[in-house]
Amino acid sequence: MIADRIIEQGTLITQDGRTAVEVRIPWYRALPGSCIAGAALTVDGVSAPEGSLRWTMNNRTFSFEELVDETGEWWFPLDSAVLSGDLPVPDSRTEHEVRVDLKLYIPYIITDHGVLHIEEHDTKTMKVAQR
Amino acid sequence: MTSLGTPIQGVTLYSFTRAVHARQYDLDGLIRKVAAEGFGPGLEVIGFSSLRGFPDRIDDNFVGQFRDLVAEVDLVPTSLAVNVDTGIRRDRLMNHDELVEYMRKQIEVAARLGFPIARVQISLTPDAMESLLPVAEKYGVTLALEVHADQHGAHERVLALRDRYEKLNSPLLGFTADWGATVTGFAPSLLEAYRRRGASEALLGQVVDLWNGFYVDGPPNTQKVHGERFGAFIGLAARNGRPDLGIDFAINGTGLFGPAPLDTWLEIMPWVRHVHGKFFGIDETGEEPSVPVRSLVRQLVENGYSGAISSEYEGWHWNNWQDPFDIIRGEQAVQRSAAANAGSAMITDASEARRILNSHLAQPVRG
Repeated sequence: MIADRIIEQGTLITQDGRTAVEVRIPWYRALPGSCIAGAALTVDGVSAPEGSLRWTMNNRTFSFEELVDETGEWWFPLDSAVLSGDLPVPDSRTEHEVRVDLKLYIPYIITDHGVLHIEEHDTKTMKVAQR
Repeated sequence: MTSLGTPIQGVTLYSFTRAVHARQYDLDGLIRKVAAEGFGPGLEVIGFSSLRGFPDRIDDNFVGQFRDLVAEVDLVPTSLAVNVDTGIRRDRLMNHDELVEYMRKQIEVAARLGFPIARVQISLTPDAMESLLPVAEKYGVTLALEVHADQHGAHERVLALRDRYEKLNSPLLGFTADWGATVTGFAPSLLEAYRRRGASEALLGQVVDLWNGFYVDGPPNTQKVHGERFGAFIGLAARNGRPDLGIDFAINGTGLFGPAPLDTWLEIMPWVRHVHGKFFGIDETGEEPSVPVRSLVRQLVENGYSGAISSEYEGWHWNNWQDPFDIIRGEQAVQRSAAANAGSAMITDASEARRILNSHLAQPVRG
C-alpha cells in the first residue's frame, strides 16, 4: 500500500468554481473503473459535493455512477488520474491543505463479506493554480 | 531416494513496486537493472502491474520488444503472474464461463511473451482448474495456483485442488508455493513502520503476542478460523485506542504472515512448479528474521525441486527507508548459502537455467 503517494504534489488547479488534483493508485496493479468505488476531495476542510465529483483517466471523464459498470478502462499504476469537483479555492498565494479519500475494490480477494475493499487517504499541502 | 534439487535463482519485479511506482524505472530499465545486478536468471512479471493494456491490448510490437530485451540481457522468463479477478463487477461475481475466458486471455499473453508458467490464484476452484486445462494445453503453459497465506499446503481448499490434480494427472496443473504461508514471526520491519506511525511499544508487544499465539495454535484450516483471527487484530487495535491500525494489523497479520509449519508443503510438493521466495527484510546479521529461508531452501533441495524461486520482497508496502535492491541482494545470498549447505547449488547461469526449467516443466511454451 502506498497511500502517501495518492496526491501528486503541486497539481491542484481551480477554474470557475471547479477544483482538480492528480491522484495515483496506492496499489501495485491496475484496476478497472468498476473497482474505483468512491472518492472525496477536500480542500482546507471543505469537501466537494459528492454528486459533483468526476474521475478522469485515459482521457475519459466519468461520474462515479458511470464507473460502476466500467470494466474496459483501467487505471494503470504509472498513470495519474484526475479527481475534480465543485469547490471554489480562491486564494492562489497561500498553501492549501488537500485531502483525497479513495475506496477501491480488490477484485481477486473474495471474503466472507464480499469483495475486499480498501479505504485509503492522503493529505498534502500545496498552492493552487488558477486557470 | 530423491536426488537433490537445483533451484533456479530469480526475482519477481513485484519486489520493486515502490521504485516503479515512483517512476524511477520503466519496464525496460527495470529489467536491465535486474539483469545487471545478477538477480536472475529467472524473471517473473505481474501482468496487471507491469504491462500497460494487459491483457487485451498487448500488441505484437510490444511482444517482440519484450522478447528481444529478455534475450539481450540473458534472462529466463519463468512466470507471468495473472489475476483471478472474480469480483471485477459490482453486481455479482463472474460466472464460470466469464472466468474461463478472463483467464484464457491472460494465459495467451503469457505464452506470447514466452513465460512457461502462469501463476493463478486461490479463487479458482477444482472445477475451474479442470475447465482451464484445455487452455493450458492449447498454449503449452503450466498453471501454477499460488498457495499463499492465509491458506497453506495442508489447507482444505488446497488439498481439494491437489486431489483434483491427481485425478486429472496433467503435468500442466500445479502450485506456486509462497513462503509467506510458513512464516515464523511478525516481521520486525513492519513493527518498525508501526512505531514510526506512533504505535506504542505496549501495543506492538500485544500484536506480536497475538501472532505468536496463532503460530503456536497452528494455521487456520478453515475460512471461519481465518475470519476470527482477522477480527482479533481489529479488536486489539480498537482496545488500545488505535482503531486506524486495525485493518492493517489484520491484513498483514493473517494475509502476509502465515503461521503454518514447514512440513505442510510436503502435502503438495510433487505438484510445486514454481516458488515465490516471499520475504520481508534482511537484518543486520544478513538473515531474514521472520521467514525461515534457509530451511525452506533446504526442504526444496532435499525434495528434488529444480524449478525457479522468484525472490519476492514484500516489505516495500511499509519500508520506505531501505533500498529494495540491497534487500534482494541480501536475500539471494542467503538462498545460495542455504542451497550450498544442503549439498546443492542455486542455478545462476541462464543457459543452465533454461535447460533445467525445460525438464522441470512439462513442455515448452507455444507462444
